[in-house]
Amino acid sequence: MSQSYNRGTVEDFGRWRDFSAGMWAWIFHKFTGWVLVGYLFTHIAVLSTALGTADLYTSTISGLEALLIVRFLEVGLLAVAVFHILNGIRLLMVDLGVGLESQDKSFYASLLLTGAIVVASVPTFLGGALV
Amino acid sequence: MAEHYSSFERGGRRWLFQRLTAVFLIGVLAFHFMLLHFVNHAADITFMGTQARMSQVGYFATMWLFLVTATFHGVNGVYNALVNQGLTGSRKNAVKYLLLAAGVLLVLQGTRVSLAMTNLV
Repeated sequence: MSQSYNRGTVEDFGRWRDFSAGMWAWIFHKFTGWVLVGYLFTHIAVLSTALGTADLYTSTISGLEALLIVRFLEVGLLAVAVFHILNGIRLLMVDLGVGLESQDKSFYASLLLTGAIVVASVPTFLGGALV
Repeated sequence: MAEHYSSFERGGRRWLFQRLTAVFLIGVLAFHFMLLHFVNHAADITFMGTQARMSQVGYFATMWLFLVTATFHGVNGVYNALVNQGLTGSRKNAVKYLLLAAGVLLVLQGTRVSLAMTNLV
């Protein structure tokens, strides 16, 4: 029978100083996963305006995009999606046993690359809403 | 013997499908973001443009598979996260069927929406 590794409870926030890179990666992957699945349901709900008229669909999307808060939320969504993708690739590598000894470094690389991609994308996401 | 670190059951198909859908989603999610935020800006999206894209068989099939795999990956991920937090017994069963129903409804609604966006049928 398989054994389980006792991670302790994540809810015990007092332990955060003791967390290793792998534990942070696990927490961030769960958090970004919850955000993405929540967004998936919201996304289909918004796109359901396509079941109405063409104008309803177009005006709903353009109306949402006219709100500055939505543009900032999209930047947040990009950050969440990029991290989940990059850390997901890292997890697939860990599952395959590739680069296990540098799994902590690949977590830091995922964070840095996510930050770089998000910062570089800000002008595209905010373009038209701020200027 | 090495300890079993995964929160999935050993030999379970849910683990395998979670990984297989992940491989597909890595590419398709990145493509979706690139196409609808960088190539076509989200603010410029219109029903006509959406219909033109969704009326290409390859694009339609990719987006529909995106819907199905993302729903499975997300719902299975949520279920696994809850089991990992200690969900057991009848509550585990209730959550399983609730998530299964939510996933099926999302795919059905997404399929209706995707068909409304295309002129393929």
